[in-house]
Amino acid sequence: MFRELKSLALEVIQAILPISLAIIVINHFVIQMPTAVLVQFIFGAFMVMGGMILFLFGVRIGILPMGQAIGAELPQRRSIPYIIAIAFLVGFSITVAEPDVLVLSDQVDTVTGGEVPHFLLVAVIGIGVGFFMAVAIIRIIFGFPIAYLLAAGYAIIIVLSLFTPEQFVPVAFDAGGVTTGPVAVPVILSLGTGFSSVLAERSTIGEGFGLIGLASIGPVIGVMLLGVILY
Amino acid sequence: MTGINPFEGFGGTILTVLLSVIPIAVFFIVFQLAYLKLPFAYISRIFVGVGLALVGIAIFLQGVKGGFFPAGTEIGEALGNIESKWLLIPFGLLMGFLATFGEPAVRVLSDQVEKASAGSIKKSLVLYGISIGVALFVGLAMARVVYGIPLNYIIIPGYILAIILVFFSDKTVIAIAFDGGGVATGPMAVTFLLSVAVGIAASIEGRDPVADGFGLIALIALAPILFLMIIGLFLKVKLKK
Repeated sequence: MFRELKSLALEVIQAILPISLAIIVINHFVIQMPTAVLVQFIFGAFMVMGGMILFLFGVRIGILPMGQAIGAELPQRRSIPYIIAIAFLVGFSITVAEPDVLVLSDQVDTVTGGEVPHFLLVAVIGIGVGFFMAVAIIRIIFGFPIAYLLAAGYAIIIVLSLFTPEQFVPVAFDAGGVTTGPVAVPVILSLGTGFSSVLAERSTIGEGFGLIGLASIGPVIGVMLLGVILY
Repeated sequence: MTGINPFEGFGGTILTVLLSVIPIAVFFIVFQLAYLKLPFAYISRIFVGVGLALVGIAIFLQGVKGGFFPAGTEIGEALGNIESKWLLIPFGLLMGFLATFGEPAVRVLSDQVEKASAGSIKKSLVLYGISIGVALFVGLAMARVVYGIPLNYIIIPGYILAIILVFFSDKTVIAIAFDGGGVATGPMAVTFLLSVAVGIAASIEGRDPVADGFGLIALIALAPILFLMIIGLFLKVKLKK
């Protein structure tokens, strides 16, 4: 455990040191930030490193085994409606709880002048993710090629973007990105790999991945539809 | 920005992080009680891990918010006023790469890909692939802000290209590429890169900081999808030879 922490610490320093040094170099040669901002930045860089070490360690020993246990348990029930319902619920609840989604709903307020109620937007994004999580799980069960699903999803987005009110388009694209936050990513990943590892004839690699990508489509379509229906 | 208080709003950060894990923890507890019945030692290790991950990500987010965000805003506003605006493009390339390189979820995905593929897809390939892809697109986003190119002119052809690439790519590559699109838009991008971009857009006349900010995230989400599939095709052609 100690050795694992040490190698993680090295990795994190290697990840965060370059950007921190770049900012300090830019500060030195190009612009001069107020000293308070610089001090706060250096302090923040240390917090980022310490936090990331704890996070990656906790993901490894806690979040990934948890998601894999749930994912591996799902097919044991041998009931497809049950599996679909759980996949939808996990996708929905993890999105509704995502802090970035709340930030996004504030941005939508500025675009629409507060005409779209918060709960409606959050619900639409949650249903979008839940729906595509369910679709992704069905895909793994039946071995349906991911290419068709993604191509269809993206084609729908392109077509919808032609009919969506202009101010909704960038928000919709954003919605896809923000919903998969740092806590949701390891959960969804491990659910997928856990689930497909139990289905013997499927190789984990290739079948277990793609859930995050599919989950990102739902909110884009959801927000675009919201724009089409409301305006 | 007067006093130095890197812990401002830390309570809120902890609360939002806690909220985001509650749903899945509830599922796990229900599953554990109903079916899994895993040994207590295993369960307690998992809960210690989840706890550590939560504390860690809260500290991480606070560091980004309290340290990187104000610095990004300062840098953005200063760079928006420079004489030769084209310099913003190489700056975008550099920052796009470095920020993604430090993104926690990108590390988690790269790690999992190496593990699931039993080492046949190297962690560094995914990590550098996503980071370089984002670098190119943040550079593109800077060009967009400097020259006032509408977002649709880049996004729509990008999505069409993604659909075309999907039909020529290996299914494993497709899945990883689209997952890469999801993980690249983490806190480093959404908080730090966005603050730089908004700072720049705010100091260039005729640019709308909100609209240009939105565009950045959409471009970052698209970058790994295109770039990883292109790398995949390139490697496939090379392997065949």
